[in-house]
Amino acid sequence: MSGAQRSDPADGGRLIGRVTRCNIKGYAGGIRLTEPDLPTFGGLCRAAAQGGRSQVIGLIYEISIEDDDLARQLAASDVPQTEVRLDQQFVRPIPIEILALSVGYHDGNGYRYDLPPQPPTTLADIYSLTPEEVRAFTASLDFLPLVIAAPQLPTDSLLAAMFRQAALARPEPDQRAFLVEAGRACARLLAGDLARLHNLVRSLQG
Amino acid sequence: MSLDLQQVLPQVELLGQEAARRAAEVAARLPQASRWLDEAARLDPAELRRRLANAPATSQPALPTDERIDRRFPLPPHPTRLRLMAADGSQIYPDRHAPAFFYMLNIGSVAMVHGSGQPPQVHTRSSLHYQEEEVHDSRGLPIDTLVNAQRDAAEIAELARLAAEGEEVETPMLALLDNGLLLWAASQEQRATRPDVQKVLGEVLAALDRLHASGAALAGYISRPRGANVVALAEAAGGASPGALRGLTDRALFGSRLDPGARSARFLHPADLNQTFAERGHAIQFFYLHTGAQDGVARVEVPAWVGDDPQRLAMVHAGIVEQCRITGIPYPLVRAHELALVGQNDRRALDDLVRAALVRQGLTALASQKAQTKRWTARRRRHRL
Repeated sequence: MSGAQRSDPADGGRLIGRVTRCNIKGYAGGIRLTEPDLPTFGGLCRAAAQGGRSQVIGLIYEISIEDDDLARQLAASDVPQTEVRLDQQFVRPIPIEILALSVGYHDGNGYRYDLPPQPPTTLADIYSLTPEEVRAFTASLDFLPLVIAAPQLPTDSLLAAMFRQAALARPEPDQRAFLVEAGRACARLLAGDLARLHNLVRSLQG
Repeated sequence: MSLDLQQVLPQVELLGQEAARRAAEVAARLPQASRWLDEAARLDPAELRRRLANAPATSQPALPTDERIDRRFPLPPHPTRLRLMAADGSQIYPDRHAPAFFYMLNIGSVAMVHGSGQPPQVHTRSSLHYQEEEVHDSRGLPIDTLVNAQRDAAEIAELARLAAEGEEVETPMLALLDNGLLLWAASQEQRATRPDVQKVLGEVLAALDRLHASGAALAGYISRPRGANVVALAEAAGGASPGALRGLTDRALFGSRLDPGARSARFLHPADLNQTFAERGHAIQFFYLHTGAQDGVARVEVPAWVGDDPQRLAMVHAGIVEQCRITGIPYPLVRAHELALVGQNDRRALDDLVRAALVRQGLTALASQKAQTKRWTARRRRHRL
């Protein structure tokens, strides 16, 4: 298949994967994408569950480029032409896998900031949230405990990346206010762990 | 597991022994073939033509061109900039057991300018063919191998389109096909002179006209060729009894004669169909080229307007060797193949779409009972207790 950008016909969200495995706490998705279409660390996405009655909101915490025989052959080649390198980097869809943490769901009436009742179904399309959806979901920061409590994840960097992207989805005058509010919410949750809080604030400032 | 490996194991062993015996036999014939080729090169051209004319029709000896048949040509310099274009195709054949009778062609193509520092442009063109006159031939029979011919024609037409796009730019152009240039299905069915075959042939020749007019060089690249036209030439010229060099391929012959990067002399393709191509000014020539890659010697087919033009021929020679340095066969062909490939997932998705379209029209969308039972038994499932 060509690497043409694929969108959700409903509202223009970008297809960034299809669910390959999942549980209540998160899901993994795979797809072939070109480099400019790759999702970003800290991005928000959604995948259908319950026969389409709900959408599980995911926070992308890992993006890996899967093994590819042709790329490996080219890497070993002693004559990598510029055009070939650019082809591999920007034109040829590469197999990627994303891992997303469940941070809420949409039940048809509104966003719920808790684990979903069911995980997405296998091969459900995973779409990135549009800026409008990002604004709506992050209007409340009640999902932060789910992220902070997630074990073995780089949660400080993850939250900082997510906050920065959520801020950019807002009009410029509102961006700073959002970041300040996010910092305060984290301060309340991490009051007992000043080292982490300091780390998070520093990441946000960077 | 339905394949009993224990049963075939002794046969596999014998297969290995037989392959080794044949390889030794062929290797023993190689010096003789090489000698006959060198001797044939010293013959008076009229005498060589006479001997080739007397060769059995089935042996299909290659025909000499203006180049002495034992000549070898070193690698020419590569142009600073070269626009490379490649097209490849795949197909879904019509299946009478499927819910609907159709076939699909998927053509992948790449255009890249070597030396430009720009990424390539890629295209995938998919077309579904389902009209009565598309899926049945002029005799009313379901088309089968003609799908291959349609795919070949679509590949050449895509190259012609890419070449036309590049005409405006002052960069030399090389168009590559992952196949020989004579239409495969037509060469199989030429005797029938069926109008369907003639129609596709007409499309191919028209695309060749456009490629010629565009100023591009065109080459068909055959990896691991199994042909023996030059071996047959050596055999006929040497006055040997037919079959004296049986099993020996041109690839083996030139593997022992060509240094990396070098090409053989050009020869004229001996197939009858080449006459039709020649009448339109596209007589197909071929030469062997040591690409320097793992597979060694490839066969390269070019139209006469490339073979007889030293500049275009040098471009083909240098361009292919340069592109083979990356991936063993020309990189644009590797990418065109990847773009054309219809995987199992794509196939399933297309079948689902077709089924849904039939249901929307109130039609039954069932595969035949035979297709269904094959699906049941083909999929193996691991049971966990």
